[in-house]
Amino acid sequence: MTSRVMRDFDLLLPESVAEVLDLLATHKNKAAILAGGTDLLVALKFNYSVDNVISLALVPGLNGLSFDPVQGLTIGAKVTIADILKSKVVKEHYPALWQAAKVFATPQLRNTATVLGNILRASPAGDCSLALYACGGSLTLKSKRGSRQVNLDDFWISYGLTARRDDELAMALQVPAPVRGQKSAFRRMTRTKEDLSKINAAVSLQMEGDVCMSARVAMGCVGPTLLRLPKIEKMMKGSAVTDGLLQKISDQVAAEISPIDDKRSSAEYRNKVAGVLVKRVIALALNGKGNDQ
Amino acid sequence: MNDLTIVGKRVERVDVRAKVTGGALYAADVQMAGMLYGKIVRCYDYAHARVIKLDLSKAAKCKGVVRVLGPNDVTKKEYNASVLDMMVSADMRGVLGDIDDQNIFTDHVKHYGDAIAAVIATSEEAAERAAEKIIVTCEELPVYMTAEASKHPDAMQFRPEKPGNLAFQLPEMAFPNNTYAWGEVDDSFKEADIIVEDVFYVSKQKQCQMEPGAYIALYDDQERLNCWTSTQMPKLVQKKLANLFELPMTRVRINATVIGGGFGARLGMVLEPETCALAMAVPGRPVKVLSTREEDWVTSPSRHPGKYWMKMGFKKDGTPVACDAKFENYKGAYYVDASGTAFTTGAWLGGMYKFESLRYRGESYYTNQSICGAFRGYGNPQTNFVMEQLVDRACDKLGMDPIAWRKKWHKTVGDDGWCMGVPYNSCALDECLDRAAEAIGWTEKREKYKNQTGVKRRGIGVAVMNHTSGAMPMLLEHTVCDVLLHQDATATINLACSDMGQGSHTTLRQVAAESLGFPYEDVYIATGNTDAAGFDIGAHASRTLYVGGGAVKQACEDVKRQLFERAALELDEDVNNLYMEDKIIHVKGASNKSISVLTIADQGVNNFMNPENGELIGQPGQIKGYASFFPPHNAPPFGASIAEVEVDMETGEVTVIELVNAHDVGRAIHPGIVEGQLDGGAQQGLGMALTEETYYDDKGICLNNSFTDYKMLGPSDMPKMTNILVENSDPTGPFGAKGVGEAGIVPPVGATANAIFNAIGIQILEAPITPEKILKALEKKGR
Repeated sequence: MTSRVMRDFDLLLPESVAEVLDLLATHKNKAAILAGGTDLLVALKFNYSVDNVISLALVPGLNGLSFDPVQGLTIGAKVTIADILKSKVVKEHYPALWQAAKVFATPQLRNTATVLGNILRASPAGDCSLALYACGGSLTLKSKRGSRQVNLDDFWISYGLTARRDDELAMALQVPAPVRGQKSAFRRMTRTKEDLSKINAAVSLQMEGDVCMSARVAMGCVGPTLLRLPKIEKMMKGSAVTDGLLQKISDQVAAEISPIDDKRSSAEYRNKVAGVLVKRVIALALNGKGNDQ
Repeated sequence: MNDLTIVGKRVERVDVRAKVTGGALYAADVQMAGMLYGKIVRCYDYAHARVIKLDLSKAAKCKGVVRVLGPNDVTKKEYNASVLDMMVSADMRGVLGDIDDQNIFTDHVKHYGDAIAAVIATSEEAAERAAEKIIVTCEELPVYMTAEASKHPDAMQFRPEKPGNLAFQLPEMAFPNNTYAWGEVDDSFKEADIIVEDVFYVSKQKQCQMEPGAYIALYDDQERLNCWTSTQMPKLVQKKLANLFELPMTRVRINATVIGGGFGARLGMVLEPETCALAMAVPGRPVKVLSTREEDWVTSPSRHPGKYWMKMGFKKDGTPVACDAKFENYKGAYYVDASGTAFTTGAWLGGMYKFESLRYRGESYYTNQSICGAFRGYGNPQTNFVMEQLVDRACDKLGMDPIAWRKKWHKTVGDDGWCMGVPYNSCALDECLDRAAEAIGWTEKREKYKNQTGVKRRGIGVAVMNHTSGAMPMLLEHTVCDVLLHQDATATINLACSDMGQGSHTTLRQVAAESLGFPYEDVYIATGNTDAAGFDIGAHASRTLYVGGGAVKQACEDVKRQLFERAALELDEDVNNLYMEDKIIHVKGASNKSISVLTIADQGVNNFMNPENGELIGQPGQIKGYASFFPPHNAPPFGASIAEVEVDMETGEVTVIELVNAHDVGRAIHPGIVEGQLDGGAQQGLGMALTEETYYDDKGICLNNSFTDYKMLGPSDMPKMTNILVENSDPTGPFGAKGVGEAGIVPPVGATANAIFNAIGIQILEAPITPEKILKALEKKGR
């Protein structure tokens, strides 16, 4: 049950990354980081309480969204979903991410919510997280003890739980540069257009003609974390993507997921449509068709 | 009627500037010196439990706390939050059997969110924090979430006077055999060549008005109870509170604040009793109570959900011979509107088609759900979902076009209306159907969508409805209006009618200006103060313009009559020989003989005596018009919707492509407002058909009492939509108007369901029609 009044906390307003790291080192799990706040403030009106909220509002240098043909895409901690939508390079090189941003929440939330916040939330339904999972990437986590890179493949541990240590600040996400023939797409199903996903899927495919050289296939809302579908990826690797293959993939998907009944849909339904969704997201990646969401 | 100058025009709405600039003062915005805050402690752990221990001591010691109140610290008088019992005569009240079964605070929790205690503190935060310190120990009781569960012989009894947990059935005294019926249904079915029958489920839809509940109450130094609330029914709530707190009405005052949407959620009391009880405990201090959305969800009424069985019989030529139906609704924890909806659901059924015989039974069973009550349509959307799907199933079997069948067999002028014995006096449904069919391309599309094979399949479906403008003669529709003519010849219209966003204060002002013959700018609608305003039954049943407008018109005509009488004396002419133009009263055929309204008004108040000789000038005294108005009828609005959908056969997803709504509105006093009502109604109707449902777990804990998981259609979900206003003046409506507040929600429900049926050849019997249900049905049928 929500409260109209948030619980007391100290709002800390560091002005540099170094200050943030000092505060994190001091308060550790007694602190929450506030970037967009679209998850945190809602949680604070529910039962969540925390002694310290460390705002990134005054911290410079975290807004960067840059693309390099070799290094790929770098997304800073304060880059919003709206920033992604405005980016031509994202739209061109990472269509899955752009498509996820396009249907993400509402304009007001897109203006505030951050991409890294979506990743750190570790929701099994996160749209932008899922698109990035398919694209691949690694997070730079920084603390007073130093800096480390964690691959997204290893980042989500379970529902709401990540590999981030409580003195670490997620500085940025690096997404590899697309290779020749790289195609990606994102699709989801919702109850109404402005909603959390009831099931979502994203793929990143490296194509040579009709043949898929490698594939990353990811789904959301079908397990405790976002999932990759290794058997499907294996089926695709080295195969020509034909209608026949798509049907085989579609039939196989349910065997790789473990959805549950919840408020947004049922396990039964998710199992039934997961294959359809994967089939369609692959088609979308390959020919831009099927993007009727 | 072509000489109307203000009626029929799209004038600026009276509330629009304040609302779009944020200036509108909602109850939550009202601040007072020395104001205290109340927080109500509710049970969110159980849906049915007995409170065995209530420890208020820790909360009482919290910082900022003024009082802590449990069930023993407030009146234990029972009440019924609905106002339905005040809309009927005393005799009828007895027949219906409405009971008072609610307490301000309870030790017997009957639904998720039932109120147990409260804290009054100096700030909202202090109240919330102290409320957390109240320790409630409960003994869990079995929950009964459906009629089937609560009517079981072993079920716990909610109320001793309602055995079998049957809160209401149509009473024998008014409805023989507990049925709303005509003809001999069992015999008629023997004549039927085809029979269609099924059990449907209609869901617990919520009004989702934007403003969550906010209330202030003050028991003042004159020992008067003041309550600031955005209720739809200020005068009935005034009386209800007077009864509950055993005060004369003159010591209870409702200050009706700007309403942020009603749709029936404020039809009666919501948290007025609790807030006033808190105020009574701290005389002289205003107390404000603010609901969270989740709290508002489970404390204000919803639509009645339940099982709805229906059976229809037809001859081969389409003649409807018999209809038999039973609606068993899952009433919720308290009586509230148990009687009203259980009746009207059948009334709308009876009012639609010319069945040779018809029998309807309506039963309301107590359950451990949150209360059901009024919601736009009041039983009509439920009936539309069921009746219209069965009609289309029959048309399918008969090989008949659904529009052609409806045109042939819907009731019309002279037929018994929704209330038996009261014939319809106007009906333009045929024109609605024709124009809607034309607008959407019905004939071509019905043909085109036969025999589809692809993944995406289109369908097109129709539904019709009858409704009402006010509830005469079932309920005692009545509005009092007085019109004060100021000395500068402007007028203030005083009445208690609410504007809950439907635009009634604008349309009433148009009616007033037109009736007075004054410019729109010269009249003002004054509402919101039950001390000043006479009786008004409240904003319900699409009646504010029809009945309130009738009262305004009559009171304004009373002013005009007095003006003409005075002018006749001044001009020494027969009153019948006068006419008014631009606020000047002229003598017919004598262009030089006239007197202005300003002169009459000014003389009456400021200039009625010659200071030199003390002689009277003109007619002394201020003119005031008055009407205590009862409508002669219920001016039935009719309407038709045609929906076109696309169904994804692999996922069950439905996209509504287009919706055309054509409504017989009598006369559109303000076409823009009528269109707005139809737009908003359609949004809720489509929502009921496709997405909206409040649901619980098996322990009765509500799982989606917020917008996160209760899904309404948003702007981007809405289809291309066309509203067609068919203006066929009703002989009893003000300037021919009918009520349109509810009409818009009804036919989109059945039309959407029928469009899905047309697309996939399967009817989904449970609302809302979700992709999950469609896919399951498709698989069952083998696609």
